[in-house]
Amino acid sequence: MHTLPCPRRFLGLIQALTLGATLCLAGPTLAATANANLPLKYKDYNIVLVSFDAMQAAHVHSLGYPKEITPTIDAMAKDGFNFTQAISVSSWTVPASMTWFTGVYPSEHRLLNKFAIYEPPVEKIANLKELAPSIITLAEVLKGNGYATGGFTGDAGVNGVFGYKQGFDVYFDEAKFGDMEDSAPRALTWLEENKDKKFFLFLHGYDSHGQCLPKEGLDRRFVDPGYKGKYTGSKEEQEALREEGLEKGAIQLDEADVAFWRAVYDEKINRVDGRFKKFVDGLEKLGIKDKTLFVLTADHGTEVYEHQRFDHGFSLYDELIHVPLVIKLPGQNLSGTIPEQVSSIDVMPTILDLLDVTMPAEAKQQMRGTSLAPAMRGETVNRDVFSETDYRLYTFKRSIRTKDGWKFVYTMETKAKELYNLKDDPHETKNLAATESRLAYELEQKLFAHFKSIGHDLTKETWKTGLSPVYPSQAKGWKKK
Amino acid sequence: MSQRRAAAKAFFSPVWRWLAACLAITLWGGGPILAQAAPPPTVPRHESTNVILISLQCLRPDHLGAYGYKRDTSPNIDALGKQSVLFENAISQANLTPVAQMSVLTSQYPRVNGMVSFEVDPAQVSQNTLPTILKHYGYTTAATISSPEFFMRYDTGSGAVVNPGDVFSRSFDYYGRTRRGLGGRSIRKVPAEALQWLTSNKDKKFFLWIASGLIHMPYAAAVPAPTQAMYDPAGYTPFWKALPLPKSESADSNDPSYEVFSRVFRNDFYLGFKPVYHLSNEDIDYVNARYDAGVRYTDLFVGEVLKLVESLNLTKKTLVVLQSIHGEDLGEQGNFFHYDVTDTVIKNALMMRFPEGEFAGRRMREQVQGIDILPTVLNYLDIPAPHEAQGQSLLPFLNGEQTALPNEYAYIDRLPWWEYTLSKWYLEFKNAQGDYFVPAEKEKLVEYQKMIKERFDKLEAPPGDIAIRSNEWKLVFRKDKALLDEVSWWNFISGSKQATDEIELYDLLKDPLEKTNVASSHPEVVAKMREKLSAWDKSIDQQKATYKKEDKHLIIPYP
Repeated sequence: MHTLPCPRRFLGLIQALTLGATLCLAGPTLAATANANLPLKYKDYNIVLVSFDAMQAAHVHSLGYPKEITPTIDAMAKDGFNFTQAISVSSWTVPASMTWFTGVYPSEHRLLNKFAIYEPPVEKIANLKELAPSIITLAEVLKGNGYATGGFTGDAGVNGVFGYKQGFDVYFDEAKFGDMEDSAPRALTWLEENKDKKFFLFLHGYDSHGQCLPKEGLDRRFVDPGYKGKYTGSKEEQEALREEGLEKGAIQLDEADVAFWRAVYDEKINRVDGRFKKFVDGLEKLGIKDKTLFVLTADHGTEVYEHQRFDHGFSLYDELIHVPLVIKLPGQNLSGTIPEQVSSIDVMPTILDLLDVTMPAEAKQQMRGTSLAPAMRGETVNRDVFSETDYRLYTFKRSIRTKDGWKFVYTMETKAKELYNLKDDPHETKNLAATESRLAYELEQKLFAHFKSIGHDLTKETWKTGLSPVYPSQAKGWKKK
Repeated sequence: MSQRRAAAKAFFSPVWRWLAACLAITLWGGGPILAQAAPPPTVPRHESTNVILISLQCLRPDHLGAYGYKRDTSPNIDALGKQSVLFENAISQANLTPVAQMSVLTSQYPRVNGMVSFEVDPAQVSQNTLPTILKHYGYTTAATISSPEFFMRYDTGSGAVVNPGDVFSRSFDYYGRTRRGLGGRSIRKVPAEALQWLTSNKDKKFFLWIASGLIHMPYAAAVPAPTQAMYDPAGYTPFWKALPLPKSESADSNDPSYEVFSRVFRNDFYLGFKPVYHLSNEDIDYVNARYDAGVRYTDLFVGEVLKLVESLNLTKKTLVVLQSIHGEDLGEQGNFFHYDVTDTVIKNALMMRFPEGEFAGRRMREQVQGIDILPTVLNYLDIPAPHEAQGQSLLPFLNGEQTALPNEYAYIDRLPWWEYTLSKWYLEFKNAQGDYFVPAEKEKLVEYQKMIKERFDKLEAPPGDIAIRSNEWKLVFRKDKALLDEVSWWNFISGSKQATDEIELYDLLKDPLEKTNVASSHPEVVAKMREKLSAWDKSIDQQKATYKKEDKHLIIPYP
C-alpha cells in the first residue's frame, strides 16, 4: 500500500558513503547525495507544519548561531534536511504564512494587509475567499485526499477570519498573540482523537514575537546580570520601539540595550524550542511520530536593531526574510544540509509531492514554486527568489535575492534601489546600486519581469502610502482626511 | 503556458532570452536541473557595438529623397536609408522638441517621463535615459548639440555653461554645444564638433548623440552660400521686406524667421491685428526653398559624419539611428512652425542602420512611435529594456518573429500649448531681443500676457491636447477647448475670435494634409478612436509620477 522508501535497506550503503565522503570532503550535502535514488514518496503519512513565528534564521544554532538555544530544532535539522538558505516571500505574518497554504506569491493570494479596505467607518478585513476566490489551499487539497486537518495557532496574523481556516476541520485561533503553550496542548488533544486517521496538522505560536511573553514572565536567562538599562522586555516597550523606528526611520539604542533585547529574544526562542519538544514527545507517546513528516519553519524573522529598528514587515533585509526550514522525514538517516537557496513558495508543492497526493489540476496550475524533494536527493535547486511587503501601507517593497548572493530591493513609492552583495556584506549595510549599476539595472528588470509574469505589472500600479493598521494602537487618532 | 510562450517570444536578444528562460523555468516549476541553462552562446552585442543617434529638429520626411521628395535635398541621407531599415510612418510623441525627444530617450510618454514643458523641474524628469542605461554597460557617452532646446532652458539660466547634472545633459561624459559668434549669428549650426569627437574617441565603445537644430527657423540662417539660396525662386524678394515691420533682430533679414511667421495665420500676415498681406504661392515656395536649403546643408553634414565613421572603420561596429525630432508646417494649412499635431509636424524620418547590414533596404510602412526607438536599440545590443519603457522593440517584427502590428495606434501629446510657453518666458525673451511689436499691439500685448499667465497659473499642470493616429485616421481632442480659444495666439494676433473644434477627425488616406474635419460624417470612427484615446489618456494620468519627496508616510505615532 505505502510506497515506503524502506530506508533500512539503504542504511549500510548510506553509512559507508557518508563516512567515506566525510573523510575526504566533509561536504554538507553528502547524506543528501546518498539519497539520490530514493523515491521520497510518503503516501498516507501524516504531516505536521510548524511555524515558529518571527524566528530569525540567524538565531538558530543549527544555522550558525553560537548559542545553543534551539536543541530540539537542531536535532531535527541534524536528523532531517536542513535548508540553510530558505527565504520567505514576505517579512510579516499575514502575507507570508498564506503562501505556505496556497503556493502563490502574496501579490496573488492578495492577503497583503489586515484590512483590504481601511477607511473608517468602512473597515473590511482581508479574506482569501473574497480576494482570490479561485485559490485552493493546502488544507483543502489534503482534506480532498482524506486527511483530517487541524490548525492550532496563536491567532492575530493567522486568524481564521483571513481565510487561514479554509480547508481545516478544526482551527484554533482564540489566544491573541498566543504561544505554543496554548496551541500545542490543543493540538495534542486533537491528535489523540484523530491519531488513527492520517492527518495534516498546522502548529503555530507567537512565542518569539515581540507581542508575546511567557505567562510567568521572562526569567532573563540570557540577560547580562549587570544590565542597568531602562528596558524590561515588555510588549509595550517593543511596540514603542517599533513605532518609533517606523516614524523616524531609525532609532538610537546603546549596545547594552541591544544586547538586552537580543537576550530576551534568545529566551523566547529557547522557550518555544522547549514547548515544541513537549509536543514532539506527545506525538511519540501517541505512537505516531514515525508515521509523521515534519516541516519546521518560520513565516519571517524579526529585526533586533540590525538596521536600527525593531519588529518586522517594513523591510526585506535578511533578518526578516531568511528563515529556518527543516524537513524531517520518518525513519533514520534521511538527512542532509542543503545550502542552496529555496523559497517558502516551495513548501506547498514539496508537502504535496512528499505525500504523493492526488492534486486537482487547478492546484497543480496554481503552484509557483517547486518541490524540494529533488534537492533532498541531491539535485541542484538553487535559484533566484522573490519577496514582497506592503506592510500597513507604510511601504511597498519588492526584492530579488539571487542564487549567486546578491539582493536587490526596490521601494515602489520612492523608486529607491538597494543592492547588496550578501557574500561580502551579509548584514546589508553597503548599498551598491550606484557602483554596481549594471547589475542593479538588470536585477531591477528581472524583478519587474517576475511580477509581470505572475500577472502584476508593477509599472501599471499606483503606490500610495496610507494606513492599514495591524495593531489597534496604530489607529488611534486616525481621521480620514 | 501560451502566455509564457508569447512572453518569451517577445525577448529577442540571446542574453535576455536566456535570463527569461531561467526565470520562466524557476517560476513555472521546470526541473531544477534545467535551471542550470547554458550561458548565451554569443558575445552580447553591447560589448562591442557603438551607437550614433542623429536627431534632427523640424525635419520633414517628405522633404527627403528617400521619402520621395522631388528635390535632391538629401543624397547622403538617401544613401543611409538604403543601408538601413526605413520607417515610413514614424510618429513623434509630441510637437515640441524637448517633449518629443525626452520620449525617445526614455521610451515613455511625456506625462509619464515628466518632460511636460520647457520649464520643468529637473528632479521630476525620469533619469533612466538611453545614455544612463548605456553607461551601465560601459559606454562612453557624448553629445554634440546645436538645438538650444537641449541646453538653454534646463541647464543654467544663462546657457553659458552646460550643467552636466540636468535633464538632457545628465549621464553624458561629454556634452558639447554650439555657440553664437564667429560662425554666424545663430547657434543653430551643424554640430560639427561631432567629427572631432569621433576622431579622438574612435577606439572607445561609445554612444554619440548628434542633435542638430539647423533646419529650425530661421530657415537656412546658418547655411552658407551658395547652398543657402540654391533653391530660391529666381529674382524673388522676401515679402516682409516691403511691409512696415518693427525693427528686430531677424525680421529684416532674408531668413524666414519666427518673428515674421508667428504673424501668419491661414496665410494672412497680420500687423496691428489686421491682415495686411496674403501670402502668394511664390512666397510659400521661397519659404520651402530656404527650408530645403537647411535640409540640404544638414544632409552634407550627415554625409561627413557617415564618411568619417567609414574611414575610421567603425561602420561594422556601429548602429546608426537617424530620426526627426518632429516635422514642420510649411504653409500647407496656412501656418508655419510646429504649432499643432498635424502629420506634417508629427511624422518623422526614421532610419536604423545596423552594423551587419541587417534589414538593409527594408521599408516599413507600419506605424511606429518615438518611444519604440530605445527598446529597439537596447534589444539589438542584448540589453534588457527598462520596465518603465512604454514603447516596444521593433526587432521581433522585423525578424518576422512577431506578426502583429507593433503600433496600430500612435498617441500624441500636444504639450504644452505654445501659448503656455509664450506665457512662461517666450514673450519676455522676444521683447528683450528687440522691438518686436508695433505700438498698437504693445498695449494689448501687456493685457494678453497678463491674461494667459493668470489662466495658466491656476492650472496644476501645463495644458495640452491629445491625439490618436492610425495610418488611416487621426483624431485630435482639444481637452480644454474653451481655455484654448481664450488664450489662442492666433486669435490674439489676428484680433479675431476663431473657435477650434473640440474633436477633429482626418481621413489621412484621402486628405493627408488634414484640411477637412470629417468628425461629423464618421461618428463610428470617432467613437472608436475616442474610446481608445481616453483609455490611453487615463492610463497615462495614472502612471504619471505623483510621489513627492515631502509626502509624509502616514504613520500614527505610538501614543
